Amino acid sequence: MPYRSEVRRVRDSEVHLLRSGRGAPLLILHPEFAAGRWFAYHDDLAAHFQVVAPDHPGFGRSNRPDWLDTVQDLAFFYLDFLDDLDLERVAVVGISFGGWVAAELATLAPHRVTRLVLAGAAGLRVPGADRFDLFARPFEETLKSFFHDPDRWVALLPAEAGPEVLVNTYRESSTLARLSWNPYWYDPKLPERLHRASCPALVLWGANDRFLAVAHGEAYARLLPHARLVVIPDCGHLPLLEKRSETLPLLLSFLRD
Amino acid sequence: MEFFYFHLMPWPHLPADFETREASAWVTLSNTHYDPERGHHLYNEYLDELEQAEKLGFDGVAVNEHHQTAYGTMPSPNLMAAALIRRTQRVRIAILGNAIPLREHPLRVAEEVAMLDVLSGGRIISGFVRGIGCEYLSLGVNPAHSRERFYEAHELILRAWTEPGPFCFEGKYYRVRYANPWPRPLQKPHPPIWLPSQGSTETIRWGASRRYPFVCVFNSYQQTRKWIEEYKAAAIRCGYEAPPDQIGFAIPVYVGETDAQAEEEARPHILWLFRRGLKIPPQYLLPPGYISEESLRKFLSAGVRNPADLSYSQLIEKGYVLVGSAATVAQRLEEIERDLGAGIFLLSGRTGDMPRKKAWASMERFARLVIPRFRQKTGTEANPQLPHRSDCT
Repeated sequence: MPYRSEVRRVRDSEVHLLRSGRGAPLLILHPEFAAGRWFAYHDDLAAHFQVVAPDHPGFGRSNRPDWLDTVQDLAFFYLDFLDDLDLERVAVVGISFGGWVAAELATLAPHRVTRLVLAGAAGLRVPGADRFDLFARPFEETLKSFFHDPDRWVALLPAEAGPEVLVNTYRESSTLARLSWNPYWYDPKLPERLHRASCPALVLWGANDRFLAVAHGEAYARLLPHARLVVIPDCGHLPLLEKRSETLPLLLSFLRD
Repeated sequence: MEFFYFHLMPWPHLPADFETREASAWVTLSNTHYDPERGHHLYNEYLDELEQAEKLGFDGVAVNEHHQTAYGTMPSPNLMAAALIRRTQRVRIAILGNAIPLREHPLRVAEEVAMLDVLSGGRIISGFVRGIGCEYLSLGVNPAHSRERFYEAHELILRAWTEPGPFCFEGKYYRVRYANPWPRPLQKPHPPIWLPSQGSTETIRWGASRRYPFVCVFNSYQQTRKWIEEYKAAAIRCGYEAPPDQIGFAIPVYVGETDAQAEEEARPHILWLFRRGLKIPPQYLLPPGYISEESLRKFLSAGVRNPADLSYSQLIEKGYVLVGSAATVAQRLEEIERDLGAGIFLLSGRTGDMPRKKAWASMERFARLVIPRFRQKTGTEANPQLPHRSDCT
């Protein structure tokens, strides 16, 4: 499905986004990698919705405004972004790091979010549950930790090589560090705020997630007022990528309900 | 040239299978490998050595800060400086440096360094560093805030040393409504601030603009030269020529009876330093946000290699270390002094797991046979400009 690339100015930031499809607006918030990449699940969803997929500030072709220090700041940024696009109410799909952003957005402005999908979402600390420390591990190991199927990670390697690719990867992980180094990948206030996210929520998790154990999904399902947890068997951290055909019917029936 | 005897206070007793079993001497190497009983003897041995450097005629001694590593067991250089102050009379004591972004509050650094300056009668040189990448993992400080915290902490410390208190400081990272530290430092306007550095562009430009001495630490000669040239060029852009007392470098040195003997004797300890102490995977060395995109581009294009991958002879050839007879070492230092226009030299003597005897013999040869060649040339004695305050009482 054809998609178009666009750069918009939102207050002091330049934001790059990909768009495709028609109908009800659907905001897809990307994980900690692959900004600006269009995957098969984007196509799947664009066949039914008006998909808007921005690069987070400081990722891909979007710049990072100086004031952006926390994931909550990022949620405020996305309110400005939605205003800029005249999108009053949207469904949101957030994946891993993007899932954390989606959860913050839905607690900050519940009236703007019609449906919330959290796929392997970061943002909560569950004492004793396993988390992969991506800042302390080599990049390749991080990619490997995303999948249950050991052959799938290669697809996430940058398409090109060379110093500029390294510089860009470093720039993106620098943004990620700025937002999530300490506390590592969670917002201590979020558990007290998730009750405000009043829309229906679907929490999708891979049963074999080695990056963020499924206990984090259970916590989201417990803390969100209208959430359902679906655990996908034989699947790692990225159900939309690793189990596309199993997750698509779940997404469609939830989002169209 | 001013000569400083520089100590890392390494932990030499690593397990035999360290190189195959451990990812690094930093971050994840368990502190169960540290033995406080042996540590007690080692600390005292190391301090004895720095005190001996004064007796042998060095201009200064230097300590530094590293955290949670066998590379150096000196998490608080200020404590070691305090221990040295009471046991030395003449030498300048260079703290190279306090890792100010890693500290909770810069006023604590301002206070401690002022205490040391007053206690020592104005012998303190106050280096400021950001701390190396590993330490951001070890202490949980966000590496993406490192440089902003460094600048802000520096500003607060400088104001605390020079501005009548109390004053109000409201930064992004540090806020205090009544900054008013006692004591104030003895040296005026404040203890000299030095910048030990691995060569990031921002540090070089910022340091040159403030005329802070730039000390290039543990690089190859080619890199050292490049970063010092960059610093000099930055100084020219600021409208002045960087004098020798603003340019320094630090490398491990071993002086033997002959070149061949020196190379043989230093070998295991130099290799300890580069293969063990400095075994650092890239994600520890440059955690995200620790350096700018500009500096990363510069390091990539300069082809900065991990010295751990070099052979012993390459380490010597590339000038990561200076090993040889007194004549060889002196000649090389004279060349370097001319070539770099450097006036500050920090000799790291007790390299890695070097035993006390070897380190002392090398230090003694350096002091007896190398330093005098530089003194004769300029007709200077060690530190004639110092106040000798404690002697006057």
